[in-house]
Amino acid sequence: MPKCTINGKEIEVKEGTTIIEAMYSNDQKIAHYCWHPGLSVAGVCRLCMCEIEGNPRLQIACNTVITEGMKVNNTSEKVRDAAKWGLDFHLINHPLDCPICDQAGECGLQDQYMEFGKYDPEMAERKQKKHKVVDLGPTVVLDSERCILCSRCVRFTDEVTKTSELGIFNRGDKSEIGTHDGKPLDNKYSLNTVDICPVGALTSKDFRFRQRVWYLKDQETVCNGCSTGCNVKAYFNKEGFYRVKPQHNAEVNGYWMCDEGRDVYKYVNREARWLKAQKRTSAGWEEMLPGAAAKDASSVVKANASGTALVLTGQYSSEEYESVLKTFTQELGTKKVFHWVNNSSSFDSFDGLLLRGDRNPNTKGLLTAMEKFGLPASKWADLEAGLANGSITTVVVAGPENQVWFPEMKQVIQTLSKAKNLIWMQTGKNAELESLSGNVWLIPMKSYVEKDGTFVNYKGLAQKFKKVTTVVSEALNLSEAAQLLAGQNLMIKPETSVLVETARPADRVMQEHRKKNEFVMKRGTL
Amino acid sequence: MSVAQRENELQKWYLPGILGGLGITMKHMVKNLLNKKKMITLNYPEEKYEYSPRFKGNHVLTVKKDGSLRCTACMLCATNCPAECISITASEHEDPTVEKYPIKYEIDILRCVFCGYCEEACPVDAVRMGPEWQTPGLSGANFKYNIEHLAYRPQLKGGIQSVLDDEERHKAGI
Ligand code: SF4
Ligand code: SF4
Ligand code: SF4
Ligand code: SF4
Ligand code: FES
Repeated sequence: MPKCTINGKEIEVKEGTTIIEAMYSNDQKIAHYCWHPGLSVAGVCRLCMCEIEGNPRLQIACNTVITEGMKVNNTSEKVRDAAKWGLDFHLINHPLDCPICDQAGECGLQDQYMEFGKYDPEMAERKQKKHKVVDLGPTVVLDSERCILCSRCVRFTDEVTKTSELGIFNRGDKSEIGTHDGKPLDNKYSLNTVDICPVGALTSKDFRFRQRVWYLKDQETVCNGCSTGCNVKAYFNKEGFYRVKPQHNAEVNGYWMCDEGRDVYKYVNREARWLKAQKRTSAGWEEMLPGAAAKDASSVVKANASGTALVLTGQYSSEEYESVLKTFTQELGTKKVFHWVNNSSSFDSFDGLLLRGDRNPNTKGLLTAMEKFGLPASKWADLEAGLANGSITTVVVAGPENQVWFPEMKQVIQTLSKAKNLIWMQTGKNAELESLSGNVWLIPMKSYVEKDGTFVNYKGLAQKFKKVTTVVSEALNLSEAAQLLAGQNLMIKPETSVLVETARPADRVMQEHRKKNEFVMKRGTL
Repeated sequence: MSVAQRENELQKWYLPGILGGLGITMKHMVKNLLNKKKMITLNYPEEKYEYSPRFKGNHVLTVKKDGSLRCTACMLCATNCPAECISITASEHEDPTVEKYPIKYEIDILRCVFCGYCEEACPVDAVRMGPEWQTPGLSGANFKYNIEHLAYRPQLKGGIQSVLDDEERHKAGI
């Protein structure tokens, strides 16, 4: 275990630790572009310079291993000067189109310029022109002029996804990132390249131009896209959620997340949500407040307590399961609880990196809670049989948040609508449910960003998450809904929604259009 | 508020002050009657005052040579605006050299304090404060100026051209 001194602070590190790793884990500031804790060392940006005692020249911190008694300093004038000139070189051909660049506000170049730069450019030469608005694949757009050739994105596709779509082509100041002919950047993790790009060269098609980053607030939460439970940051403002980015957790997701998990925010926004409850009878339908609808439905639930079945999906928090099962088994005395297993054919699959076929964040939590209340793993066939022979008259469903991952949604709705009374609780809109008639209550629920709770992931790791914001102020969580359904009175504090309605004019340019500017590297054509 | 009172002997008497004031009024009346050209008041709706070119009146969005909007939808003006009265929605432009442009640009002129910070913030001379200030409207809705009004209202006669030209900029290698 070598000991060293970094900026006057003595620390002990593991054998083989590089200077930058030691600084990173000790909250020391160091400028860097090409080094990323989740990738191999490239040492190409030359910004992480530091002074080592006894060494006449500056060294790069990312590729220098700490030895016993090393004295490192990265705050001296010499280091600052080196970083400044390194930055000047990076900016020689940089277009400086911050006004139209999505990265502005969280850009490495802007940050380091404010730290080390603040000089007037001394280059009289013309800037090197490169390709702009290059369509790299279905998710990512490249601006070669902004690229500083740190090679993080290339190393990501080489080392993490092992798909190697990206490469650096040409030489010198003509170097550009590109894809090979006929092989676009198209993998399930492609948007991580946008996150790790320290500048605005790679931008996400989904987020592009939607919002300026300084208008967004962020909050950590757990992705509800699959049973891996990646730690994420959700970015939102008063108009809704805009994007999701991964948050480092060595035990769960490392530094990455999948592209599908980044779409989750779309099901949380107001446009996709039920805002009011509906009571649909054969005589027509009426709109109600969610709490009132649950209270209204409690009359049929209580009247048919023994014929009431509860259908649960793995999309709710452990606390909610606990409370809903307690209410149903103890207050109502029903043992008919069914676990709705979605996309059952690929339920147990795993893509080798993060994404799991079990597209529920908390299947484990649900099973544990059912076990705790002594509920046998009832079979779906029992439910169907019960509906057919009339022993089940009332079905209460805690439906999914991400309906795209419930391909059998339509059939399930058809099956369950045979029940005399159907109480369907869910976050998002669904055309089939909204066209049902008969005794149907549709009750809006809170999504995962609107409540505190715990998700237990595939390997049994319980992760707590905190409420991010309120989207639909009157929506209920599962515990509240269950108590109201059991006929209890409940004080529900109304939450003020911070989100406002917005009218967004339709975009004129669709993604089809970008394909026109496609630039694919063909060897020897540039 | 404190009021400074100068108590001298003359002010204690009512008439000298009144007569002095009337004298000044009379002096100006006679002057104006004898020399109408030098009169400083205006017959307002018929006669209008010429403000200096630096006057900060209603906003104008400038246009490029081809008449399209100069604005790149960078939202710096909206960020800088202390009254938070500018709202912009950006989108992708079909021309890759333009890339980003506003599909909605609205100024709520009743909230605007005419500080001119938006003009200062704009990196591409896309928003300017124009000379107009007489802008009556029938309802509140008339005071939310959209792109149509800000860039192409009839008074602008097809739009005010921005001094910044992309082609020249690219030729200069910037
Ligand atoms: S990459 Fe950074 S410095 Fe370059 S245009 Fe974008 S925000 Fe500006
Ligand atoms: S595109 Fe971004 S991540 Fe890739 S080399 Fe360029 S600057 Fe680095
Ligand atoms: S003049 Fe001032 S208040 Fe009015 S829009 Fe511009 S920045 Fe906002
Ligand atoms: S008017 Fe200027 S500052 Fe405002 S969005 Fe347009 S380009 Fe940016
Ligand atoms: S971070 Fe060390 S050279 Fe780039």
